[in-house]
Amino acid sequence: MSALATLAVPDDLRDLELALMTDTTPPANPRDLFEEQALPYMDQLYAAAMRLTRNPADAADLVQETFVKAFQAFGQFQQGTNLKAWLYRIQTNTFINNYRKNQRNPYQGTIDDLEDWQLGGAESVTQSTSTRSAEAEAIDHLPDSDVKDALQAIPEDFRMAVYFADVEGLSYQEIADIMKTPVGTVMSRLHRGRRMLRESLADYARERGIVVPEQSLTRSTK
Amino acid sequence: MTDCGCEKAKAELEEYLHREVSDADFLDISEHLAGCDDCSTEHLIGLKLTEKVRTACQEKAPEELRASVLSRLGELQS
Repeated sequence: MSALATLAVPDDLRDLELALMTDTTPPANPRDLFEEQALPYMDQLYAAAMRLTRNPADAADLVQETFVKAFQAFGQFQQGTNLKAWLYRIQTNTFINNYRKNQRNPYQGTIDDLEDWQLGGAESVTQSTSTRSAEAEAIDHLPDSDVKDALQAIPEDFRMAVYFADVEGLSYQEIADIMKTPVGTVMSRLHRGRRMLRESLADYARERGIVVPEQSLTRSTK
Repeated sequence: MTDCGCEKAKAELEEYLHREVSDADFLDISEHLAGCDDCSTEHLIGLKLTEKVRTACQEKAPEELRASVLSRLGELQS
């Protein structure tokens, strides 16, 4: 381990990372431990940051600040608990403190109280099994860019609930802790977010000429 | 074909998908899905949605970010 500690020049960082990943002996100091445990989540934190900030420069800044704060608070992290969820909690707080206040978001604070019709959604009416088979097929054929655009267009709290559950596979309780909200609210955000996403993807599919039958009588036809 | 069980299954399909139901409910719903086209098609859409979102959201952090995080950590420690 002492040899590793001397590898501080940038060219050797990759070797250092590699050594840390393959080394099974306990790291010698908090920074080694932090790098070994937390840095592997960088891609995931960056992906979530992209969904939050919607652009690469802000996402990179957010991730960097998240790691700085996490490192400074690492002594408070309880080993054995979910580090990924802990990092997401820090990243979400950082985002709210630094970025959200700079954005004018008309939904903020009220989004959970809005009725479905105000969000442009409608509970889907009864559909035949074949109609829904076609819908599943259509969703499957959409390019990633459509899925990202559709996700980006739904309100932030719904979007991140969907992200944490479906991309990260976090439990409802973990999401509740990250978003500082009751589990019931997480479930409602997930449900509404996923439904909006589903409707939006059906629209994208139709625009691309993929046949998706109109799924709801209450949706306005344009 | 779609007798008792649909209502419960439909109501809990999302939690079922996210493995947030009890073991007993998980078994009940699995059993119901196996015999019900209607609910299993609905579940398939849910699965597709999750799968598409998961695939679309994969990102690789830029190398510059990795380097700058490491250098910030180095500054913090010294």
